[in-house]
Amino acid sequence: MLGPYEYVVWLLGTLLECAVLVCAFKKNALRRYVLLNVYMAASVLFSIGRYNILSHYGFTSKEYLYFYYYSDSLLTIALYFALVSLYSHIFADLNAERYIRLGTVILLSGTALFSYAVVQQFSSKLVTHFVVELSQNLYFVGLVLTYILWAAVLKMRETRTQLIQLVLSMGVYFSLFAANFALQNLYHSRGSFFEFLTPLFGCFLPLSWAFTFWHVSEDARTVPSRLAVVPR
Amino acid sequence: MSRKLTVVLLAMLVLVGAMSLKTVVVTHGDGSVIMANGSAPQPPTPWKNGSAPQPPTPWK
Repeated sequence: MLGPYEYVVWLLGTLLECAVLVCAFKKNALRRYVLLNVYMAASVLFSIGRYNILSHYGFTSKEYLYFYYYSDSLLTIALYFALVSLYSHIFADLNAERYIRLGTVILLSGTALFSYAVVQQFSSKLVTHFVVELSQNLYFVGLVLTYILWAAVLKMRETRTQLIQLVLSMGVYFSLFAANFALQNLYHSRGSFFEFLTPLFGCFLPLSWAFTFWHVSEDARTVPSRLAVVPR
Repeated sequence: MSRKLTVVLLAMLVLVGAMSLKTVVVTHGDGSVIMANGSAPQPPTPWKNGSAPQPPTPWK
């Protein structure tokens, strides 16, 4: 059964997701980072939907279970496109939009094919297996893409603070979940502790995006390339 | 043409890297899945029927 901690963190996460949309609207970043905001809006809507289903059918019901995993898969795809939109921002000067689109489609198709190849052995619940597997694989693709994007930020000497913070927050977010998941698998005896942390990590991305949209102006500049310079 | 092929190659490299990373992360896994969207409580995986502890495999 769910305790007050789960409900409080869930509510906090959803409020932070709403805060991202409000901050983006107030600071005129709604259209500039449209896919990031679409992801946040979808996250809020699915959160409300999940709560409705949970309160009607219960936590262990099949309705909640299927809605949770199918909506998570859609959210992961939305997050993938949000991440790719950051690539478009970084490579805007190179007119690489066409190649980014091509790479996005190929990578998504490749991940879907790979996921299908993994789950095709299952005779029952094939679609559900596929949906969860795709979500998992796309998550790790997003993790790798974020690190590549950070390398591109350093290499291209990107100076837009807002963009840098959005990329960094995504990197930290993906890394937190991956590290938590790996530690959970390594230390099964302390699994409940890591499960306790997981929903808290879910609040990190909306918190950091809301902070970025609210506190960092569009014109702010910084020099991340200095991080890559090795002093002699 | 060569640029398009480069994009295809890069996409495949990213996919291989991501799947390798996933393999490393879930090496000692118990079949649980990573869910990283929002802070809603995660239900058991759809193919786990009930919450009863899993017995050892029949061929042991």
